[in-house]
Amino acid sequence: MAACGGSDGTSPATTAAGSASAPGTPVTGGTLTYLDSAAHTNLYPPSGGFYPNGGILNQITDKLTYQNPETLEIEPWIAESWTVNDDLTQYTFVIRPGVTFSDGTALDAQAVADNYDTFGLGNPDLKQPVSEVFNNYDHSEVQDASTVTFFFKKPSPGFLQGTATIGAGLVSAATLARPYEELGSATNIIGSGPFTVTGETLGKQIDLKVREDYNWAPPSAAHQGRAYLDGITLIVAAEDSVRIGSLLAGQADAIRQVEAYDEPQITGAGLALLRASTRGVNDSIAIRPDNPLVADLRVRQALLKATDSAEVVSTLLSDNYPQATSVLAKDAPGYVDLADKLTFDPDGAKALLDEAGWVPGADGIRVKDGKPLVLSIYHTYVQPQNKQVLQLVSEQWAKVGVKLEVLPGDAGSVAADNLDPAKTPLLVAMVGRADPDVIKSGFYPKNRDWLLQVGGSSTLVQSYTDTELNGLLEAQTAEVDPAKRLEIIGDIQNHVLDQALLIPIFEEPQIFAAGTYVNGLEFEAVGRPSFYDTWLSER
Amino acid sequence: MTRYLLGRAGQALLVLWATFTAAFVLLQALPGDALLIKFQNPELGLSPEQIADIRVSYGADTSLVTQYLHALGNFVTLDWGYSIQADVPVSQQLATNIPPTLRLAVLGLALAVVLAVGIAVLANLSPFRWLRSLLESLPALFISVPVFWLGIMLIQLFSFRLKLIPVINPGFWEGLILPVLTLAVPISAPLAQVLLRSIDDVRTQPFVTVARARGAGDAWVLTRHIGRNAVLPTLTIAGILLGELIGGAAITEIVFGLNGIGQMTESAVRSQDAPVLQAVVMLSAVVFVLVNLVVDLLYPVLDPRLKSKVSV
Repeated sequence: MAACGGSDGTSPATTAAGSASAPGTPVTGGTLTYLDSAAHTNLYPPSGGFYPNGGILNQITDKLTYQNPETLEIEPWIAESWTVNDDLTQYTFVIRPGVTFSDGTALDAQAVADNYDTFGLGNPDLKQPVSEVFNNYDHSEVQDASTVTFFFKKPSPGFLQGTATIGAGLVSAATLARPYEELGSATNIIGSGPFTVTGETLGKQIDLKVREDYNWAPPSAAHQGRAYLDGITLIVAAEDSVRIGSLLAGQADAIRQVEAYDEPQITGAGLALLRASTRGVNDSIAIRPDNPLVADLRVRQALLKATDSAEVVSTLLSDNYPQATSVLAKDAPGYVDLADKLTFDPDGAKALLDEAGWVPGADGIRVKDGKPLVLSIYHTYVQPQNKQVLQLVSEQWAKVGVKLEVLPGDAGSVAADNLDPAKTPLLVAMVGRADPDVIKSGFYPKNRDWLLQVGGSSTLVQSYTDTELNGLLEAQTAEVDPAKRLEIIGDIQNHVLDQALLIPIFEEPQIFAAGTYVNGLEFEAVGRPSFYDTWLSER
Repeated sequence: MTRYLLGRAGQALLVLWATFTAAFVLLQALPGDALLIKFQNPELGLSPEQIADIRVSYGADTSLVTQYLHALGNFVTLDWGYSIQADVPVSQQLATNIPPTLRLAVLGLALAVVLAVGIAVLANLSPFRWLRSLLESLPALFISVPVFWLGIMLIQLFSFRLKLIPVINPGFWEGLILPVLTLAVPISAPLAQVLLRSIDDVRTQPFVTVARARGAGDAWVLTRHIGRNAVLPTLTIAGILLGELIGGAAITEIVFGLNGIGQMTESAVRSQDAPVLQAVVMLSAVVFVLVNLVVDLLYPVLDPRLKSKVSV
């Protein structure tokens, strides 16, 4: 089944999932009750990275291209075809005729150009920010009603995949004309997707209704025409026990976010557990070398060696969360197996710390120049069982004489402190996107800047900068030859681990569950649900 | 009376202004702010320059005094701005969330009063000593039950096991039963305790002895003489109860996934959503001021001895 599990097909839960592979003829009709664990925030398409946002946008917007979740190939969708110049600075798309937004306006070349100019350049007047996935965007030119060309300042090999992401969902002119601060209302988002928003109770519920005249699904979709469901009721249920209980009691049809310890409840009851890979940088701990405690490579390497990710996976998670074998997940483009560099080696860690001059103090914590080796990290509420994971890592590090303090925090302190390498030498890091550009998103100073470099997101950085890494990141974003590009992605993964800048722990999928009568629940390339092919059989 | 009312109204306005200012100052003093939290969000992957531009567009670079005057001016003219986190007008959020919270709070309080009075009356009329102690120990039990635990237990039992009441997409009244019960139990505890205590106090008053001497029975004395007098102290704690009610409603809303001021506040606190928090603080202040005013005005009605003081 599509998108559930890796392209290597080894994911155990996928095979257990009965739903999408159930035989039978699709039935039209019915409303699906879908529970998410959090309310959406802003539905400006480039904000679609937040899962609850993506879960809505993926139903109500279409993309220029379609990334096949199985092959990761980019296929036609709203664009029938495209051409790219040799140095990847000009992309020309031919738009499919007859596509309309749900407000009746045409989705033509002009509409696409307007969308992309907004996403690529931002719109300061309306406070609309630039999209993370469009690198080096310059401008658009509409050739005729069905042809549009995009121009880039530098080669932009990641752009084609970018046109297939949630963040590039196409919206009508009426939506683009609204200021950013009005785009939190789902009813304001007009797309051309198979469903439209008909009602919203803020923070609680969204009602989606099928578009009867929808007839422009990607050619490789399981069917064409309208979606099978009449509608979707999306309800926010933050309590884990309420989501699981509602599904088991038959009050809900599908839910997002099943914690590893709840998985047996789902499988035990014979329901479908669905795993959707996010194909990006693994769930990891990023290290900020600007902090003097971790500036020494030997200390960072010691932390890497002291981390037993196998124990994390076996103790706290399930088979659905494979142990990390590189910076990237196995099914991410450009992945190279670097398991050799990630071996658990506490003795090696101790030796490195000794060598670096950190000697065990009275309480077992290593000391150098009178300073104890105490590091702190904020746990997140988004990553699976993050607090427990970090606490276990803390126990592992304690065995080699490093103290790791796992801090809770209000969003304000966390946002402020995480920009200060002196306060936070470590950061929980993870990002999903099915394109090599994902690695740049994480490390590049002008993007997420996990490592905190000079000239990046923080003004508090004293001196740290990694010119070699930045050079590799820039080179891959502008590399025209796909094979060479993947080669650079491999170099980046090697560099990050050789410099011990990141401690990858496990691959982080999205785990969904659904009733056995829910068929054809699919996921796009990075794990957002797609209800277009979904249908309900007799319960 | 008019002067008294005007004085009280003036006081109330002063309290509201002070509350607004204090809330503004405190929100500014917190580390980080809603814009930082929102736009520093890694999912957006914005560059620092882009974030700086956004801050300017939101006016976050102007002086604090300017921001304060701007916020105060907007507030007075009922322009409550946009929620920074949810990107919807604060007024719209309030309009969506106030009615369900009011419904929950009013019904929860009503049921709590019924429970409290029931406990107090039954305990006092009980012919058995053991039953009386049992009833009197109920408030201590009720107050020690965590609201979220009670909510989850009720859901597990009545919704998931017995399948009597759905939590997802329930009918209007159906959806209120479990949340109201969850909220009422802990609220009834302090009410019942105060009521039990003050019934005991009033019972020792001379007029009760007089009534009994005239041959009045237990039930008669309790309802006609003791009850009315014992209600006064109970009413006094209404203000305190209001806090309990708001806190309990918040947890109840979150557990049951209801929309309401509580869950709205919880998410606003998590994201330091200043416009929403300002509105919530002001709303709570208005409610507190009004409740205390009503209680003060009710006192003379219930106790004629206080009337003379008021009318001076």
